[in-house]
Amino acid sequence: MSQQRRTPFAATCTACGVDRETASANEIVAFYRRHHRHTGHDVEVTRADVDGDVPDTDDLETVVAELEEHYEEGVPIGVVAAAMARRGRSVGETLEEIHEVRMTGALYEPRHDHLAAF
Amino acid sequence: MPYSMTRWNDGLDEVERVSPDITDETNALPARYFTDPDVYEMEKQKVFGQYWIYAGHTNCIPEVGDYYTRTIGDREIIVVRDHDDEVRAFYNVCAHRGSAMVDETPMTDPDNARRIRCPYHLWTYDLDGSLTSTPASFEDARLNPDLEDEDVGELDAEENALMEVRSDRIGPFVFVNFAEDPMSLDEQAGTMKAELEALPLEEYQLARRIVSEVECNWKTFGGNYSECDHCQANHQDWITGIALDESELEVNDYHWVLHYTHAEDVDDEMRIHDEHEAKFYYLWPNFTVNMYGTADGYGTYLIDPIDEERFQLVADYYFKDPDLSEEEAEFVRTSRQLQEEDFELVERQYRGLRSGALAQAQLGPNEHTVHKFHLLAQEAYEA
Repeated sequence: MSQQRRTPFAATCTACGVDRETASANEIVAFYRRHHRHTGHDVEVTRADVDGDVPDTDDLETVVAELEEHYEEGVPIGVVAAAMARRGRSVGETLEEIHEVRMTGALYEPRHDHLAAF
Repeated sequence: MPYSMTRWNDGLDEVERVSPDITDETNALPARYFTDPDVYEMEKQKVFGQYWIYAGHTNCIPEVGDYYTRTIGDREIIVVRDHDDEVRAFYNVCAHRGSAMVDETPMTDPDNARRIRCPYHLWTYDLDGSLTSTPASFEDARLNPDLEDEDVGELDAEENALMEVRSDRIGPFVFVNFAEDPMSLDEQAGTMKAELEALPLEEYQLARRIVSEVECNWKTFGGNYSECDHCQANHQDWITGIALDESELEVNDYHWVLHYTHAEDVDDEMRIHDEHEAKFYYLWPNFTVNMYGTADGYGTYLIDPIDEERFQLVADYYFKDPDLSEEEAEFVRTSRQLQEEDFELVERQYRGLRSGALAQAQLGPNEHTVHKFHLLAQEAYEA
């Protein structure tokens, strides 16, 4: 009997009782967007095997700035969502905060759905 | 007796068109129509751009100005109740420079607006789509030294209205069609329309929406829904109480109905319809209405493709009271169990299809609903 390999990322919508396992962090965000489009529901990151230490802070700018050391051309937005999940934030809450901080100019996207601190 | 042989991708056999004769070995769509990304791109136009597609339920937007959005393929639309109490659909695209106007708004959490306003340059539309106002900067040429104010043309309200999407209904179910000259919804739905409209579907409210993502082509799940040859082996809890031998699969032009007879009769209060059975309707291409045999409520499935290898199952449950009773909540849980069992089956089937070994599947004699489904897909591709 074959054993399925564990995917590095997983998320859940508790309202629907639906789980999603993905190979990439940003696919978690794509799942959130698709799910939210139909339901308005938020989703939680339940598993994230992220390289390196996750910054021990609630401050989004600092989280992105520290994670940037491990990534070229920006931190995948899903990795940021996974890091913020350890601080108790849902994916929707993190995306909303990212939008707010981006609108101040403190974060930007060097490529689509990848973040860098200004 | 006809002789049939599996069409493997072994260099010996070639695939053929879906035979209209279900006893032929080429009675199913070739496997590549389930796995090829180019096929899904084609389907966006030839299937989801040509046929009537489910857009939502009118009960979710009961007041004038209530609206929700819906994305079908690459097209995003607004479904809104206008001042005449009519439900209409428009592209979520401003007539000025093409901006999307309203944020994504799910049917489960609709919004309300007196008018539809584009946030980019504030062009504003009435709920019937007509352009009602533009800022003063569109009425004079104050910033352009090459123009006089009198050179500026008027923006006619109707000529610059939102682009309406053709819509029609089966009872409270709203459908849209993007084709220029489509068949009518009456023709596509056939007898299903009259049968459903004879029932008090408007008296039921959306109580639960559960959206799952499944790793297979949307047609793989559509085929699985459409037959019950797999039920005996795979839905052992559900088939307790169902007399599969007495059940019947009825095929029509663009829809099919699965009549599941219960082994023991069920009280009339536990059904909306008269027939003493569960009736599951599949309307080509990706919508089902589930008239339960054992619950005073009904459900719908939207089999909404993400790409060629994934879809979202949007499962809606309607009951008299949107606050579910304990029994109704248990009913929904049982339905979820059935879905999970089916997801495992279709994902397993799709894993096999993706390996590329099978060139063209073959259907059994009691999979005539799936045969119809494949014939309709072929008809759409070849149109």
